[in-house]
Amino acid sequence: MIASADTVETGACLWADVCIVGGGAAGIALALSLSGQGLKIVLLESGLAGEHAPTQALYAGEVADERLHSPPDKYRTRRMGGSTAIWGGRCVPFDPIDFEARSHVPFSGWPISYGDLVPFYPEANALSEAGRFSYDADEALGPAAAPLFRRFESTTVRTNSLERFSCPTDFGKRYEKRLRLAPDIKVLLGANCTAIRLEPGGRAVDELEVTTLSGHCFKVAPRAAVLAAGGLETARLLLASDDVAHAGVGNEHDAVGRYYMCHIAGNVGTLTVRGTPDDVRHGYELTPEGVYCRRRISIAPDQQRRHGLANTVARLHFPRITDPRHRNGVLSGLFLVRRLISYEYGKRLNDGTATSAGLYARHLLNVMTDPVDTTAFLAHWVTRRTLAQRKYPSVILRNRTNRFSLEMHAEQRPDPDSRVTLSERCDALGMPQVRVDWRYGRDDIESVDRTLQLIAQEFESTGAGTLEYDRGKLEEDLMRFGAYGGHHIGTARMGTDVRTSVVNADCQVHSVRNLFVAGSAVFPTSGQANPTLTLIALSLRLGKHLSRRLAPKPRVHTDLVAA
Amino acid sequence: MKILVLGGSGYIGSRLCAALAASGWATPVSASPRRVTPGIEHRRADTRKLESLTQALHGIDAVVNCVAGDAASIAQGAHVLAEAAVDAECPRIVHLSSMSVYGAQEGQLPEQTALDPTLGWYARAKCEAERHMASFAHAGGTVVTLRPGCVWGPGSHLWVGRIGRWLRAGRLGDLGPAGDGWSNLVHVDDICSAVIAALRVPVSTGQLRTYNLAAPDSPRWNEYFVDLALAIGAVPVRRISPLQLKIDGWMLGPMLKVAQSALSRAGRLGHAVPDPLSPGLVHLWDRHLHMDSRLAERELEIKWTAYGTALRQSALWYLQSDGMPGTHRGTAVPVPPS
Repeated sequence: MIASADTVETGACLWADVCIVGGGAAGIALALSLSGQGLKIVLLESGLAGEHAPTQALYAGEVADERLHSPPDKYRTRRMGGSTAIWGGRCVPFDPIDFEARSHVPFSGWPISYGDLVPFYPEANALSEAGRFSYDADEALGPAAAPLFRRFESTTVRTNSLERFSCPTDFGKRYEKRLRLAPDIKVLLGANCTAIRLEPGGRAVDELEVTTLSGHCFKVAPRAAVLAAGGLETARLLLASDDVAHAGVGNEHDAVGRYYMCHIAGNVGTLTVRGTPDDVRHGYELTPEGVYCRRRISIAPDQQRRHGLANTVARLHFPRITDPRHRNGVLSGLFLVRRLISYEYGKRLNDGTATSAGLYARHLLNVMTDPVDTTAFLAHWVTRRTLAQRKYPSVILRNRTNRFSLEMHAEQRPDPDSRVTLSERCDALGMPQVRVDWRYGRDDIESVDRTLQLIAQEFESTGAGTLEYDRGKLEEDLMRFGAYGGHHIGTARMGTDVRTSVVNADCQVHSVRNLFVAGSAVFPTSGQANPTLTLIALSLRLGKHLSRRLAPKPRVHTDLVAA
Repeated sequence: MKILVLGGSGYIGSRLCAALAASGWATPVSASPRRVTPGIEHRRADTRKLESLTQALHGIDAVVNCVAGDAASIAQGAHVLAEAAVDAECPRIVHLSSMSVYGAQEGQLPEQTALDPTLGWYARAKCEAERHMASFAHAGGTVVTLRPGCVWGPGSHLWVGRIGRWLRAGRLGDLGPAGDGWSNLVHVDDICSAVIAALRVPVSTGQLRTYNLAAPDSPRWNEYFVDLALAIGAVPVRRISPLQLKIDGWMLGPMLKVAQSALSRAGRLGHAVPDPLSPGLVHLWDRHLHMDSRLAERELEIKWTAYGTALRQSALWYLQSDGMPGTHRGTAVPVPPS
């Protein structure tokens, strides 16, 4: 069932087998996976079914450097479904190498392997509505599908891995009915968890405190509590709950909030591919299941180890939008309407380029001199994106010149000094706000540099084309918009060493036997992949662990199955 | 032991006759107004006429009611059957009901769930038929009522043939939330096994037993649509918008239905008209009704056909069957093993 938290009496204490804090991709996947096991599940969601400004304001906080990180209330939506209400839908699994301890990536290595997570990826893919768990182009598209580059073969630089796209699915809307009908799940909307209350010894969660914006206060006493509130909010809640554990829950070794990672991203250089435009497949393909997917450029794992590279992918992209020299009507059109586009999607159209009447005029001229492309783009956008149920994922321009920039998406090395702490300011419920001090290192930039060099060498040696980029400007290109928005990783990382991690391989907070974390907060490293698919897979794995641990015997109750 | 199968020429009835004949312990007698299956004894019977049915029941040990058709055939037919069975002293009826008797209810539904006849003529007729069966039990007969979900498998025009055609035509695909309901698919062979078990299960005089029949691994509709589309090569699968589904079901559907009936009545190419979608079907795909079939599993000892096996058989039948309107042969892509 789904109900308002205001229907719960002030002072009440609800009992649950599992209490999940947060109704986003992680929390919803976990709740659904726990259903039908004879457990009573309470899911606390701060937000409502849709947008609600006072609730969203609870996400406000500080950032150490606004050029490096977006304000904490951006790229996150505090509502049922969480940030899946605004995500782009890119689904990519982590690679086996991401789980390994790599000498060239300090603090790397997961306590679980890729093989431990693989059984959960197909279901994660299904919940994300991204089709089959198949990320190899040959396998997913069949051998007849054209390659990314017709004349490029390399064992160092791979072009066959795929990214798939969700609709993008808003988990709140998509799974509303399943949650509403499940007799063993109770979703409370407007329910803000404001504190984790530990028992006096600090070894177990006694109760979770819940407050609504209208002033109702009640508690939930769970057998197991799961924080699924996102990478920033999970750290905030752990740190703010400091009555029994004075440094914050699970923070005995000062690891909570540290190792905060996003991704290193930006558009770099010019790749000129030899041959005709037909020799390059730079856009989206439809898989047989009808899912959009796209090939990327990546470095083979043995070459990553050999060259000491962090895991990185590159996608073929168009030139910098703000620079009218591209003479492309579509890009100029996007520049002209950028104020109408949301912060999250418009950010890369506002790169700090000084605007002037002359700049506007040149963009306008581009639109006027390129009417066919601009009109065709608009028609395509309206039919395939605005009106479509499965959205065309992004702007793809017609390739006329075989010249592309490379859109880089790179792993960031874990750094204990990149961190989330509590600010002096409090929100409307009296909770301290977050302060984000995201940092990157010289190593992160150099790794991308060496990745680009490898790509350039391979294109050169195979004769497939040339890659040129300005090494002196690389850091500027990668940091033009700061950390890649929305990927909040590592603040309650998984590990075996309690000094450098917060949760164990079962996502249980080391020092608290019935407190768990679901979400990208537990990722020890950031990998090349967007985090959503993997955090769903990890949540499903946690669901299996909790069912085994908590489910009554006999395990399946006849009348409690999610419909 | 002689078993009269009413509706013996239908999809379930004809297979049941063959299964009974192969079982060795019973002799099937097919009763239907038309078509005779070779090798199976046939009695012509009008199931809505007491005299005709009583005559057909002569010397019969048990009767299986697989009658399909309009509301009168179902409801009135059951009424006549209950009376005829008393008159002919036929002790046992196995009655095929439907999951429609649960109406619009959602959730995990066991057999004790209250019936809801509000969902159109079919549900009303099926509920009424069950009431007549209860009267027969009350009068001293024994009744086993089976409530199947959507009966599929090779030869199923309802749940394979037309679904495949809709997929090919881009009228069906991944429906999103509108296709999140449980399919409750059950293989036609499993229905036959259940009927045979229901004929043999010990039930005392005057008792009525009811069993749900839906394969426990039957997926949600979206999953089935995508799997079938991949298996018959109706790709890429389309994501269907709620608006398209509504227009197809509420506006186009009735028009196609009228055209189909008119052309059929005129003896012309009724089958050339695309299959109409109905509002009822659109609602079905959205309904989170999950039939609980564990009682049948326990008491009738059903071994369900695995979903993957049923899918492969159904897709093969679809690809091989000729003369299906609006279809063309396609290339099958491998279906993942179950």
